[in-house]
Amino acid sequence: MSNGKALVYNQEKCTGCRSCVVGCSLYHDGECGKVVSRVAVVRNERFGESFVVGCDMCTDAPCAAVCPTGACAMDTVAGITKINAEKCIGCKECAMACPFGVINMHYKTGKAFKCDLCEGRDAGPVCADWCPSGAITYTSPNIAFKAKRRVKLMERLEAVKAGEEG
Amino acid sequence: MYGWAGQRLRVDLSTGTITKEPLSYEYRRKWIGGRGFNSDIIYNEVPANLDPFDPKARVCFGVGPVSGTAAPSTGRVTVTCKSPLTGGFGDSNMGGHWGAELKYAGYDQIVVQGRAKHPVYIWVDDDKVEIRDARHLWGKFPREADQMIKEELGDEDIHIVLIGPAGENMVRFACTFNDVWRAAGRTGHGGVIGSKNLKGIAVRGSGTVKIANPKAMMDVCNRLRQTFKPDPMKIGLYEFGSLCLINVANRDGWFPWRNFQGGAHPLANNMSGETHAKTVLKHREGCFACPICCGRFTHIKEGKWAGEEFGGPEYEHAVPTGPRVGIIEDANDIWHNARLTNDYGMDGIETGGVISAAMEWYEKGLITTKETGGLELEWGNAEVVDKLIPMIATRKGFGAILAEGADRASDKLGLGDKGHYYTLTTRGMTLPGDDPRGLGFGYGLSFAMGTRGGCDHLRSLCCLELSGALYPGLNTKILGDERPNKPVTTVGKPYMVFYEENQKATTDCLQVCCFTTHWSYAVLTPDQVEYLNAVTGLDFTEEEFQEIGERVYNLERAYWARQMSGAREDVVPERFTTEPMPQGVDFQTNVGVVFPLSEMLKKYYKYREYEPGTGFPGERKLKQLGLDYVAKDLAPLRSKYLSESEKKKKKYYY
Repeated sequence: MSNGKALVYNQEKCTGCRSCVVGCSLYHDGECGKVVSRVAVVRNERFGESFVVGCDMCTDAPCAAVCPTGACAMDTVAGITKINAEKCIGCKECAMACPFGVINMHYKTGKAFKCDLCEGRDAGPVCADWCPSGAITYTSPNIAFKAKRRVKLMERLEAVKAGEEG
Repeated sequence: MYGWAGQRLRVDLSTGTITKEPLSYEYRRKWIGGRGFNSDIIYNEVPANLDPFDPKARVCFGVGPVSGTAAPSTGRVTVTCKSPLTGGFGDSNMGGHWGAELKYAGYDQIVVQGRAKHPVYIWVDDDKVEIRDARHLWGKFPREADQMIKEELGDEDIHIVLIGPAGENMVRFACTFNDVWRAAGRTGHGGVIGSKNLKGIAVRGSGTVKIANPKAMMDVCNRLRQTFKPDPMKIGLYEFGSLCLINVANRDGWFPWRNFQGGAHPLANNMSGETHAKTVLKHREGCFACPICCGRFTHIKEGKWAGEEFGGPEYEHAVPTGPRVGIIEDANDIWHNARLTNDYGMDGIETGGVISAAMEWYEKGLITTKETGGLELEWGNAEVVDKLIPMIATRKGFGAILAEGADRASDKLGLGDKGHYYTLTTRGMTLPGDDPRGLGFGYGLSFAMGTRGGCDHLRSLCCLELSGALYPGLNTKILGDERPNKPVTTVGKPYMVFYEENQKATTDCLQVCCFTTHWSYAVLTPDQVEYLNAVTGLDFTEEEFQEIGERVYNLERAYWARQMSGAREDVVPERFTTEPMPQGVDFQTNVGVVFPLSEMLKKYYKYREYEPGTGFPGERKLKQLGLDYVAKDLAPLRSKYLSESEKKKKKYYY
């Protein structure tokens, strides 16, 4: 994984604001829109639920495994799966294979595109940088998992304590 | 074209005609978008004597050049019509994601006119626009209709504007929602939409907004997003929603207790944002591209209403059907009432305003259970409020009278001047839950001068007097004077209101959220000009930015002038100018304050260049703003307004 860091998504915190979506599309395509964003937000307004869906940078990536031309492949230097637009034939296999639905076809080129962790951006991926609620963080997964473990344990502990008092 | 989509969609429901009209460069530059486009249409196409429910009336939905872009909070939509509540100019503004979606579909504005033969909804699928049957959706709550339309169209990711049952029944203060919960609450356009037999507008946009200078846009947006992170107002709004105001309002004495009989209450904390977050908050919600995310989603866990869920509430939505009608002990009653006004599709402020007026009439003996159909309208009677809200929405019994709005209800009941004393309205619309005796004299002035009637905390949103303490030096930076940073003073306020009204008008034309510009002040005018230019590739200046706001503001004022509303109507409810603020809690800071409106009016008129006698926009100013045709319209009306017969008329609505 790139610098040992990854995008970590915390669905409980996602407000569905799509700050990530506009940032992503502006940074990569110079225009703003959901259709050119590498990260997506799914909103369930009636129930007040929102979810952020971005590339999880699979170690054994299905998108790379199904690519017939080698356009979608692990970049061994960056440590992430990338799509080489020159080799891409627009067959959509990777988009269908992705278990999360985070690969899309570009409306202008007809080729597949996916998250590249905002390669070259000093402040890291724009989605994490702009996320107002902390639903997307760019961090070492190990640190994120440790923190989550602690939060969840404390919550359970609180519940137990409250139960004892009540 | 950069920024704008460049076209207006016009739907005539009588004939089923759908037209797309290009918007010229000159037009876009003159009005920018959203509120500007809408106000122009309403002024030109909806004459003064037309009934707001007439099929010929228009209702407009506008977005701006930066809608759908990466600038902070670009999801707003302005909905404008001739208000059935006030009879004058009426617009309201909502968040959510619909505005951005409309832009992605390729439109800057939708204008709806005519009346369909049966209930319909409009489906905008990029270029393809159709009018579809909505008979099966009639009578449904927005949350139900939203789901039914999504299932019917086979896409859960579309965004839909909807009205509730109150809009269908043409309640004069019915409102519009998008994304189920984001309401454009005020002035009653929900009823106008209902009068057109229109249930909603579903939109799917698969385009993008083109940015003229992406690098400059990225730079300014990066900078602004960082500015928000440590901002104290952002943090308060994110953590507690706009309910974070409750405890502040209670301390500074602008908490609307019992129809503004008081300004503070010892139990206010029961409904504070802090309490809400601890007890009933299910989730935080964000409108499009928002760095703040003040939206709430509430799940009531205990008591009679356990299990109820709804989006919201926010401050102005929660207080009217809560403390304003005397409910404070069990906050679940307040959340429940907010849920009701949402589901039935009514403006929470007006609903609380009209019920609290009725309660005060009842208290003062102006009405009895004979008029109310047996309802005992005692302060804090949550059971009665729970019954009354659906009765208003469906126009049943006493509810049918209240559905006309406070001032009309007072006249229907024949209560005379006494009745109007307790309606707490200006130009026919109830004031929001902010008492100018505590919130600030700038706000009070704004209530008298707002171009959509009895509001308006959102016309100037002069938080400079409120957040002054949080941002030392801000007043000097914006107004060149630090003195106006205290709420309960008059010094510098007329200019503050004048400046902020113009600023806010252009912000509404851009259709960005004023919480980024007038609450947190993380985004100032130079920043807005910077991102507007980065998006459009044009060369707007700060002066032009302010001038556009001034143009929009004067046009709206002229709309009122055209129907004989001017200086005589620039008032606030007498309660604020005559009754000294009583003590509600011992730490209250504004005991004994009365609101000195007349001190500020003269100066404000000078900044605006309104004519001293009539209060109409001045001819020189109108011409300077490129509104010669408006000046021509108003010229013959001046002597009429000053005539003795006009002077005798007491007008509460138009």
